[in-house]
Amino acid sequence: MMHKKICMLGGFAVGKTSLVRRFVTNLFSEQYHTTIGVTVEKKSVSVAGEDVTLMLWDLYGDDEFQRIRESYLRGSSGYILVVDGTRKETLATALDLQRTVEGLLGPIPFALIVNKSDVRDVWEIDDAALSELRQQGWTIFFGSAKTGEGVEAIFSALAHRLLQQTT
Amino acid sequence: MRTHHTRQAAQGKTLCTQLFVALETAVLERVDQTDTFLLQGTVPAWWPSIFGTTTPPSTVQPGERSPFLKQFFTEAEQSWARHAAGLVRSGPWTERDQHGTTLHLEATALLVNSRQLLLVARLGADFEQARATLQQAREQALRHAQTTKLQTRNESRLTSQLSQSEELRDDLLGVLQGLGLATILTDGQGRITFISDEAAGLLNLSTDRTGQRWEQVLSCSKKDRDAISTRLRSPAEQHDPLTLHLETGNPRWLDVTVSPHPRHNEKRILLFHDTTEIHDLRRLLDEKARFHDLVGSSPSMMQVYQLVRDIARVEATVLIEGETGTGKELIARAIHCSSSRKQGPFIAANCAGFTDSLLGSQLFGHKRGAFTGAVGDQAGLFESADGGTVFLDEIGDIPLNVQTSLLRVLQEKEVTRLGEAKPRKVNVRILAATHHNLNEDIVRGTFRTDLLYRIRVARIQLPPLRDRRDDIPLLASAFLGQIRAAMGKGVDQISPDALRLLLSYAWPGNVRELKSAIEFAAIGCKGQRITATDLPPEITRSQSHTPLSTWMPPSTSHDERAQLLRALNQASGNRSEAAKLLGMSRATLYRRLANHRIDIPR
Ligand SMILES: Nc1nc2c(ncn2[C@@H]2O[C@H](COP(=O)(O)OP(=O)(O)OP(=O)(O)O)[C@@H](O)[C@H]2O)c(=O)[nH]1
Ligand SMILES: [Mg+2]
Repeated sequence: MMHKKICMLGGFAVGKTSLVRRFVTNLFSEQYHTTIGVTVEKKSVSVAGEDVTLMLWDLYGDDEFQRIRESYLRGSSGYILVVDGTRKETLATALDLQRTVEGLLGPIPFALIVNKSDVRDVWEIDDAALSELRQQGWTIFFGSAKTGEGVEAIFSALAHRLLQQTT
Repeated sequence: MRTHHTRQAAQGKTLCTQLFVALETAVLERVDQTDTFLLQGTVPAWWPSIFGTTTPPSTVQPGERSPFLKQFFTEAEQSWARHAAGLVRSGPWTERDQHGTTLHLEATALLVNSRQLLLVARLGADFEQARATLQQAREQALRHAQTTKLQTRNESRLTSQLSQSEELRDDLLGVLQGLGLATILTDGQGRITFISDEAAGLLNLSTDRTGQRWEQVLSCSKKDRDAISTRLRSPAEQHDPLTLHLETGNPRWLDVTVSPHPRHNEKRILLFHDTTEIHDLRRLLDEKARFHDLVGSSPSMMQVYQLVRDIARVEATVLIEGETGTGKELIARAIHCSSSRKQGPFIAANCAGFTDSLLGSQLFGHKRGAFTGAVGDQAGLFESADGGTVFLDEIGDIPLNVQTSLLRVLQEKEVTRLGEAKPRKVNVRILAATHHNLNEDIVRGTFRTDLLYRIRVARIQLPPLRDRRDDIPLLASAFLGQIRAAMGKGVDQISPDALRLLLSYAWPGNVRELKSAIEFAAIGCKGQRITATDLPPEITRSQSHTPLSTWMPPSTSHDERAQLLRALNQASGNRSEAAKLLGMSRATLYRRLANHRIDIPR
């Protein structure tokens, strides 16, 4: 079966682990347990009649304590940038990461999810900030690991893009 | 030596093995150029839970189980292929065993004597501690961000609330200023916290006085200040305004109401109304409504006042006609007082009810012994009034022979005392009054025609009160004022009901009747205000004859017809009674009845 490596990237505590956990096991925890290094999770999906195993590399959040390791990124078919809607600065982190990754791996498929849409009333990120990125052709989702909103959608959208690239 | 070395070597091997066990590290050596590794030494305790049971020196393919390791091989391979010295580290990663327990691992690739080795170590307590510290740091960073955000949000909410309420305040202020309300706000200490532009204008304030005490901006008498002070101390709203007289360069009359602030008990709102104009107008009106001792502002009275002023300027004899009680003597006095004779005497004589000789001697004087009882020489009224005015009331009642003497006075300007032959010059002005129709007296032969023409050079007809009802409130309050002053009683108001009765009553006795009715009521009145029940019974009773709804303005012929009918009704058809009630002669009554085609069988 086809395996595709997808990296989860973003600032700390944006919900990378939570999104993967929701996608893979359909669970969610309010508790924050910061990731150190990598945890690799697998999930098989069917994209346009083809089975593919997504290898989800849930990386540690990028901040001044831990910089992203090039070796973790290698071999990725695509990546998901996660932004915490309640923290404006996490969008900047995501944009930085995107530049870094593109520098290392070239223009591979990626999508951006603004997470924590269940608490939209305290969001600091609005559509205006994202519309420019959309114009540049970015795929942007709003979602919530807590409610599951947009979770299937972003993984499936990225999986489709990956398969399109293969064929 | 050799055995020593061998033993040492053997011991070293065990030491290394023990060391790896202690470090919880698995040692794997790559088999050829495959993905297969040979497990070396002792397998650490954690190994089987992830990679399955293997006893050294069996082979394993750990990349099959761990995608992370699989990728690390690629990295390690490149390093091995380069025969690079030194270590390649994978960085930490996490694996989960079949029970869900997580293990944190790190792999290191190295080349020892061309042997490709892979060390897989379980990260222990040090790692956990580092992780916990990092977690703490991040949680703290999150909390800090959260509080900052809350603070910013609160701050921006407060800022927006502040600007909203500032905007609202400015709006309200704009409305307040736009309405031109003269307001002052004071705090619990009586200090001014706000003055509207209008108030500043009214009080002649050119500078901002907020922060000062209210007394400093109100230059009025101590009495007025005390009154305001009392109001300010009272927590209750008082609706009746205080009247202030401002004593600044630009004196003003102000009405002030003091209300408590709706939300702050101790604050007060002072609202000023400039009533200067009203005061001036009222004074003017008062002046206009009063002419000497006459009260009334109805058009008919205004005409009378004007006539009096005109007549006063000339020396002509005047006949004042009017029903009883209409104030004929007051007119005479007004003429006298407005004339050039005002410094001279004013002598009034009522000509009714005297015998010929008594009236003659009163008017013209007599010589001692002129008649029984004439014990000395006596000057008459005309002589006494020399240089002034004589007012002869009820001139229609003068006997004919006295009329003749009077004619002489008018023609020759001289009087002859009874019993004397020599006339004396007198300089008097004669004013006469009657409630009769002197024309009728002439017809009847009781009054001399030539005398009438002499007297009636000028003529003032005083309207009956029922023809100038508009003046009733003014008259009533004027009388009330006089009575209050005379009796020292605090009656100063007339209830609307009482006033309505006063307005609808026929007033046969005219102003004099009104005056005595007010006196009657004031004496009987219990409180401050005259009520309907305080009025004399004939007025109270008249109510049944005059339903309020049908009360019509005076001087319409409809009203006169109703009055006639009412009087007749009240007098049970007796015309003399009815005439008396209406304050008119029988002849007048007949004429009016005929005018209105009221026919009553005798
Ligand atoms: N309300 C809400 N909370 C969420 C959501 N997703 C994640 N969280 C919470 O956010 C915190 C961080 O979630 P993680 O999934 O651990 O975040 P991470 O990006 O993996 O963090 P690092 O591993 O430290 O980089 C946890 O307390 C989660 O419960 C969401 O959709 N809604
Ligand atoms: Mg995580």
